[in-house]
Amino acid sequence: MSRSGPVKGLLVAVVASVAAVAGAQFHQHRHQRLPIVAGPAVARVASLSEYGEGLARTMADTKVFFLQGAEPGGSALIMAGTHANEIDALLSALIFVENAVVEKGTLIVIPQLNHSASVYTRPGDGCPLFYGIETPWGTKVFRFGDRGASPLDQWPDPDVYVHYPDAQLLSFLDARNTNRSWPGRPDGLLTERVTAAVMRLLAEERVDIALDLHGAETMFPVTNCIVAPERSMRIATMASMTVTAMEGFENHVEPSPKGFRGLSHREIGDHSDTAPFLLEAPFPFLDQPTGPKTRDLLMTGRDPFLLSLAGQQKLFVPYDESGWPIEKRVGQHCSVALEIINQFSRKRADRAIRISEVPRYADLVRNGVGFYFHDPSKADPARVHLD
Amino acid sequence: MANPLYAHIAAVLSVMAAAYAAARWRKLGVELCMLAAAVAGGLAGAVVQTPPIGELARHLVEGTFTYLDVMLVFVTATIFITIVTESGGVDFIVRAIVRAFHRQHLVALLLLMILILIPGALTGAGSVSVLTVGAPSALAMGHLGLSKRRTAAILFIVAGLSAAAPPVNIWAMVICAGTAIPYVGFTYALGIPVLLLGTFTILTLGWRRDHRVSRDEALRAMPQPPPGMNWWRVLLPFGAFFGTVAASRLWPFATPVMGLPLQFTLAAIVALLCSPRRINALALSRDTVRRLVPLLATMAIVGSLQQIMTVTGVRGAISYAVIAMPLALLYVLLVVLLPISEGLLTYGAAAIIGIPLVWYLDSIGLHATIVIAGLSLLWPLGDGLPPTALIGRLTVMVSGYEGSYWSFLKETWLPWLAITAAGIGMIVYSAKLSALVAWGL
Amino acid sequence: MPLVMIVYYVICLFIAGMLVWNFAREKDDRQMMLLYLVVLVPLVLRLLRIN
Repeated sequence: MSRSGPVKGLLVAVVASVAAVAGAQFHQHRHQRLPIVAGPAVARVASLSEYGEGLARTMADTKVFFLQGAEPGGSALIMAGTHANEIDALLSALIFVENAVVEKGTLIVIPQLNHSASVYTRPGDGCPLFYGIETPWGTKVFRFGDRGASPLDQWPDPDVYVHYPDAQLLSFLDARNTNRSWPGRPDGLLTERVTAAVMRLLAEERVDIALDLHGAETMFPVTNCIVAPERSMRIATMASMTVTAMEGFENHVEPSPKGFRGLSHREIGDHSDTAPFLLEAPFPFLDQPTGPKTRDLLMTGRDPFLLSLAGQQKLFVPYDESGWPIEKRVGQHCSVALEIINQFSRKRADRAIRISEVPRYADLVRNGVGFYFHDPSKADPARVHLD
Repeated sequence: MANPLYAHIAAVLSVMAAAYAAARWRKLGVELCMLAAAVAGGLAGAVVQTPPIGELARHLVEGTFTYLDVMLVFVTATIFITIVTESGGVDFIVRAIVRAFHRQHLVALLLLMILILIPGALTGAGSVSVLTVGAPSALAMGHLGLSKRRTAAILFIVAGLSAAAPPVNIWAMVICAGTAIPYVGFTYALGIPVLLLGTFTILTLGWRRDHRVSRDEALRAMPQPPPGMNWWRVLLPFGAFFGTVAASRLWPFATPVMGLPLQFTLAAIVALLCSPRRINALALSRDTVRRLVPLLATMAIVGSLQQIMTVTGVRGAISYAVIAMPLALLYVLLVVLLPISEGLLTYGAAAIIGIPLVWYLDSIGLHATIVIAGLSLLWPLGDGLPPTALIGRLTVMVSGYEGSYWSFLKETWLPWLAITAAGIGMIVYSAKLSALVAWGL
Repeated sequence: MPLVMIVYYVICLFIAGMLVWNFAREKDDRQMMLLYLVVLVPLVLRLLRIN
């Protein structure tokens, strides 16, 4: 052995130990499963790959929950996890899956649209791998994800992402973003296959309205709002006015820009008969000028830097010492989603969808989010679905 | 009472600075000094669970992935251009340029400028310009009478401008992705300033010749390309690279996404097959990787540093400081802040500072597209600043400049000032320049 | 796995191999030894499909 042998051995041991500790945590994050307890209305649980063969046996395949009403009616789709780091969307979608009673029509829920993104966190962003929600029966643990799909599932990135079919140039980062890949292609990138499969689902299941749930920075002008294209505008406006007047939280409508391609609220409207809506709730965790990216910030949205910027009128949402707690954010999503479905049903009585037992804003603020999740260990195993 | 978070973030920052200084004092290289700062910052943060100590290893390791794809580009591009050099291709190109344009050296320099602008404009990375056409261009400039220092200065500035040039400007794309502003309308807003500033750079740095050599003397002094070298053998490897880039633009839906590392790898294989000399590809790759390791380690460690800065709140505090600044002071400080942030974080700077800044400037009535264009003119300057100094270091490497790094950087002062003035002017007067935005282009 | 992605794993393996080769040849420079290992970390974890 050469003179440098012991030094090399020591260095390899140190670096390999650090890599092994990290590797074990990455592995756990990628393979941890999320138990979802199917609620009373869930009649069928499908895989998205049933609508897009190219997704079978990939990390992009994801569960689709069909909540069936006793009476026939219209059909609504709720999508969450388009951006797997915007956690309020997933939590809201699961509240629908685990609690909703559908009296008329069909509600379809895809809790983790970009499933591959839910098993990855973005390097450089210092995010936690997991977060817990307190429930009456203990802590329910969720994976924290990323805005884009994991490079273990879609690699390499192009130097510039060319949107299909408009050929608009987008950042290379957006190649793994399922809110830039609409309407998608069945033989395209993995993210394009995901959105293409959803487009097929919209057509085959005759979906009337599609709701895409998101969270946005408090410094982002398009937050606390419903983004809607022309055909969804009237329903969005009515829903926004109703929740603002009746439930006491601010919510406005933003028009979907025509020149910005690849977004669900643009392309679903342009390429199908479904009326799309994109819901944004304020999500301070995503803001750049915040303190450490802790689980506490994730849950409470409380941050002294944002509070100071609010004092300088540099935020686009009301912000005080209480931050933006998760109950308010999830509550907004639930209320706005229910109200859009309600307004659509009033406008199209022949295609109405009636849902009950889903908590609204005030319920969530009063009881917390965890109150609405069911204990998988006590549920009928046949009703527990691992994502 | 001040929030205890502020004191804690200040303490983490101080520990990081102290660790960097201590490592420097122990004569460690810049890369290991940054690693020391990242580890120490993480440990200091762990005192108050930001991050929890059990997650520190994961944060350090996760950070090294931030620029993994960029690292692959550097390795594959450098192996490609080293093969072209070893095959005698670079000598062949330089002889041709000197032979054709020796008398009209400004014309030759302007042609070289266009040549250097193309790879960066197509890929968004100035480093690709330096790595592909940098070496032959630098040699040609030398034979046109420019000193190595001024050659390196021109190469650095024009490569930086190439990264800002349309159609692909990664800083602008990162900001657009984060602000939901369409990445359209940049063709003139970026193209016109880049061409004007590039021409200004050539005129100011290239006007005076440092030495005069006759054409025959220059040709005699240059190494002879190996027998059998011809235009086909030189151009085919470049054709393979630019051909795949062009195909991905012309037929985006019929061409599989290849990514720059694979495009460079294909070009390297073509270069190897076209070489009239036998090249030991394995030994060449081994030596190239060895030469590149300090740069690759810089990228890996800067990623870790960035992750630790985020998880401890330091990154957010910096972002806050920029946003909370009075507007007039902000304009003045942008002159130094943007290049420094690029030197520290490379493209990460666009996300950390650029995104909130654009939201803020947009909300006070400035024109977002022109603001982004103006900002993205200033960032490439930071590619000459440590700790990363990406384009700066590559420029010195390919141009063969052997003087001190700072003397080369000082040579760039006049174009540096012009670019700064243009960038800041575009931001401040963005509302008046909105005609530059041609939507849909 | 798409062909292009497989090629990327081959590229990573090749670069990792060059780094290990250089690391094995390095006799004196301890700083360089550490830098080889730091650069290897993301490549090896990607090759093992861990991150």
